[in-house]
Amino acid sequence: MVQHRKKEKEAFVKKVLALLLVLVLGVSLAGLANGKVTNGKVGIVLDVGGRGDLSFNDMGFKGTDQAAKDFGLQMDVAQSSTAADYLPNIRNMARSGNYKLILCVGYLLGDALKTAAAEFPDQKFAIIDSVVKAPNVMSVVFRENESSALIGALAAMTAAEKGYKYAGIVLGIEIPVLYHFEAGFRFGMDWGLKKYAEVTGKTPDVGLLYTYTGTFSDIAQGKAATEAMLAQGAVGVYNVAGPLGVGDLEAVTEAHTNAKTTYGPPYYFGVDSDQDWMGNGYHALASGMKRVDNACYNAVKSVVDNTFKGVVLSLGLKQNGVGISGVSQLANFIDFGIAGGAVKADNFYNIIANWALNRATVPAYIWDAIDELDAGILSGKIVVPTANTSDEMKAIRAEYTLGAP
Amino acid sequence: MSQELTGSVPRKEKFVHRTLTGLNPAIESLLAAAVGLIIGAILMLVWGYNPWKAYVALFQGAYGDSYGWASSAASGVPLILTALTFSICVRAGMFNIGAEGQVYIGAAAAVTVGYFVLPGGLNLIVGLIFAMIGGALWSLGPAILKLTRGVNEVISTIMFNWIARFLTFYLVAFVLVDPVRGEKTISIPVSARFPVLVRGTDLSWSIFAAVAFAIVIYFVLWHTVIGYEVRAAGLNPSAARYGGIKSKRTMLLAFILGGLGAGLAGATIVMGNPPTYAIISGLPQLMNTGFDGMAVAMVGRNHPIGIIFASLFFGGLTAGGRTMQFTAGVPLEMVRVVEGVIVLTMAIPELIRVFRVMRSSWSTLMNVLKRRRSA
Repeated sequence: MVQHRKKEKEAFVKKVLALLLVLVLGVSLAGLANGKVTNGKVGIVLDVGGRGDLSFNDMGFKGTDQAAKDFGLQMDVAQSSTAADYLPNIRNMARSGNYKLILCVGYLLGDALKTAAAEFPDQKFAIIDSVVKAPNVMSVVFRENESSALIGALAAMTAAEKGYKYAGIVLGIEIPVLYHFEAGFRFGMDWGLKKYAEVTGKTPDVGLLYTYTGTFSDIAQGKAATEAMLAQGAVGVYNVAGPLGVGDLEAVTEAHTNAKTTYGPPYYFGVDSDQDWMGNGYHALASGMKRVDNACYNAVKSVVDNTFKGVVLSLGLKQNGVGISGVSQLANFIDFGIAGGAVKADNFYNIIANWALNRATVPAYIWDAIDELDAGILSGKIVVPTANTSDEMKAIRAEYTLGAP
Repeated sequence: MSQELTGSVPRKEKFVHRTLTGLNPAIESLLAAAVGLIIGAILMLVWGYNPWKAYVALFQGAYGDSYGWASSAASGVPLILTALTFSICVRAGMFNIGAEGQVYIGAAAAVTVGYFVLPGGLNLIVGLIFAMIGGALWSLGPAILKLTRGVNEVISTIMFNWIARFLTFYLVAFVLVDPVRGEKTISIPVSARFPVLVRGTDLSWSIFAAVAFAIVIYFVLWHTVIGYEVRAAGLNPSAARYGGIKSKRTMLLAFILGGLGAGLAGATIVMGNPPTYAIISGLPQLMNTGFDGMAVAMVGRNHPIGIIFASLFFGGLTAGGRTMQFTAGVPLEMVRVVEGVIVLTMAIPELIRVFRVMRSSWSTLMNVLKRRRSA
């Protein structure tokens, strides 16, 4: 009885092993037909936010991908699933020695790159949004306070014009980069409200609602925060948390569905990429663009032309590093959305039409004011404050209280 | 011959009862892993990725060289501890989902050593003790609810996880916050960090703390009277009570031991993982440590020694998954799907066994209720 069972068992094991062997052989044959000749490789390491955010990470991906295509390089991606992956991901790529450049996209990778850059002094690195001072690291930072000031002014003036009590910002994790956004937005709102009073002669009563959700990945948190702000009477929300914008826009869209409105407030303000096309262009009024794509492209280019240096680049309005979205970028970024699978190609003209109709709900004098602020920052006449530490941020919050006691 | 045979049959039968296919548990686990790999390969083929290249990258990254082994072991360290949290309670007849929250509390407690200046390695030891006490205290909530009011531990531990999550969010953002960098807590001082064991990797001396804890748990459960009582109460609560075992005492002990383990897991993450040695806002390095530990416990068959090997396997999936992404071009999402499939197939044998045990205790409960209702 026992013997018999043992035999049966052995037969079972043999069958399974045979099946395994067949599969392994089949799969290995399939593996042989694959090989491309390239001029080398570039690696890109993403933080926990990851692809599919239609903003920061996708922009980094897009710029690097474009550069790889233009210069005949192969691009490899390492996405991090937890913070414990940052250092190993960078090390793994550097250890292979196959990469002309390893691009770290995101502030959160800063600590890990600092360690890895010292361990691999011959490897060229670039980092977006953080400063790592090392001869083999090119650091690219943005003056997001400048673009956020434009969005802040737009949001505040629109709120005053349409009789809303607040403008909102939904932020991610409380990192110094996001202080740039908050500081700029506060300054912009303040500037916009003064401008509104100057133009209309009325005293506006518009405050700021802001939330640090503590996440760059949990889309539901963006939706919840936006819903809360809209319920308190916000004219719209500025997304400063990458993928959370998808949730923010969902909340805005639902508010429109419930109110049976198509255009007008509440609005969504996009970030990093030109997100105006999102939701088919109905509700996204403008985006505070941060051209991570250009920065990544230029970093790869610098390695190809041998101009790579371990320097810190600070990109503002003047360097075209940041800016407010306009019609000129829209077409380009609708294509970006089509490539990301977020919109259908035949929607292209619909989106542009919707976008134009939505923008038309904001009177021309406000758009003129935004242009004025833009020109002022460009010429250096207007200097937008910024913050890098929580103390500096507190000082700015105290200066521009915007309705807070 | 026949004498021997009759002697071995009951042993054999017991064995058959223990595993799903009747094979040796280790062979059964390997078979399950093979099935998982095959299903994963089919999935990758369907979506147009090269499974052979992917698996080669996975194994190279996980166990290809000493760097791979060290990376795998490093990823497995906290999982050993959270798996123990779960399995101690399974052995005691409970489903404790609370490791996740206890990890958060343990990590937050460990960070507080940043405020003390103590001589030498004392800082490290104090940090570990804080973390373990933190985890254990957090496990007391569900334990007391269960023992005094009969609240089901599945529900209460899940709720305590959420409370721990938001409490830790608060602590990270407002109490333990780094005054210069608002996105993280203060960093653990160098004197309280586990030194790196293999240079250029994440593996630190924390692995010894985890393995030592596993061995202590093994010793307590299988070589002490109280450990025997815990296991007896888990196998058959009624019989244990009839035999004079105080089930409340064994349950409390299981909760506390589990809490100590999960708290220690939190400490190994913040004190043993370069480069930041702090909790980052949003807890991205702590998230899911407790839940992954449950899967590790299943694969390790709820045995401390099995868990050590299972953690090395899980750590290998994590470490290898990283290389799989960029050398085989498989996106992280697909890597995680494949990992999930492998984990699921490996956990199935033990899951079924645990559910059988749970079902029998469930049906006893239902019978009691029915009798009460009809009475």
